[in-house]
Amino acid sequence: MIEILIGIVSGIISGTGMGGGTILIFLLVYVLGVDQHIAQATNLVFFIPTSIIAIIINLKNKNIAVQSAILISVFGILGAIIGANISIKIDVNILRKCFGIFLAIIAIHEIYTIIKKYRKQKIRDNNKKKI
Amino acid sequence: MIKNAKNRNMKNITKKIIIGLIAGIVSGLFSTGGGMIVVPALIYLLNMEDKKARGTSIFCILPMVITSGFFYYKSNYIDWKISLLCATGGMIGGYIGAKVLKKIPVQYLKIIFTIFLIYASYKMIMT
Repeated sequence: MIEILIGIVSGIISGTGMGGGTILIFLLVYVLGVDQHIAQATNLVFFIPTSIIAIIINLKNKNIAVQSAILISVFGILGAIIGANISIKIDVNILRKCFGIFLAIIAIHEIYTIIKKYRKQKIRDNNKKKI
Repeated sequence: MIKNAKNRNMKNITKKIIIGLIAGIVSGLFSTGGGMIVVPALIYLLNMEDKKARGTSIFCILPMVITSGFFYYKSNYIDWKISLLCATGGMIGGYIGAKVLKKIPVQYLKIIFTIFLIYASYKMIMT
């Protein structure tokens, strides 16, 4: 039952495009006490059905640059083979810490984009005042 | 002129190869985060518009996820009971999100998400 709840929360966040996967993995590790590897594997299965639906909708709305996507995918598969094989061999605790560092990098990037947007808004407001 | 166009084309191909490789490695390592790399990369490096970048990124990431999934599966890391329950919840959540989230401003969500990220990263590194 908790699993379904965790899924629902992550699914709602996924809709915003902010990375429901990070939340899913975190909740699985800290609420359910699952190992990092298993939490990550769960996220892979979690991603497939929702993304297939999203791809169909986006293809219909012509929101996908198919040619670019295919080229990126081919090299993405190559990268995934490398990444997954490293991940599988890493010790659980080290993998979890690496994941934490990865989250910190995303957080810094998010803070940067929030500040950038805020500044743009301020410049726009100032221009309005001048007029 | 033709040489210039060719050059630009080559440059874009190189960019796409690098985007794919990096996103793939991250996706394989952490099983998530590919989109957080592909979406900004498409917007800033290939000048794609926001909506198209999001759509394209999902299309790019699915094959990476399936590839990673294969290796996790081979190493017996997939717990089918947890996975299928979470996936079921995920579809329900996705549906709720599509209906409700339009009413909440993205700015606030971003701030909440960032605070969550800071907390989660602290906890994962320290424990």
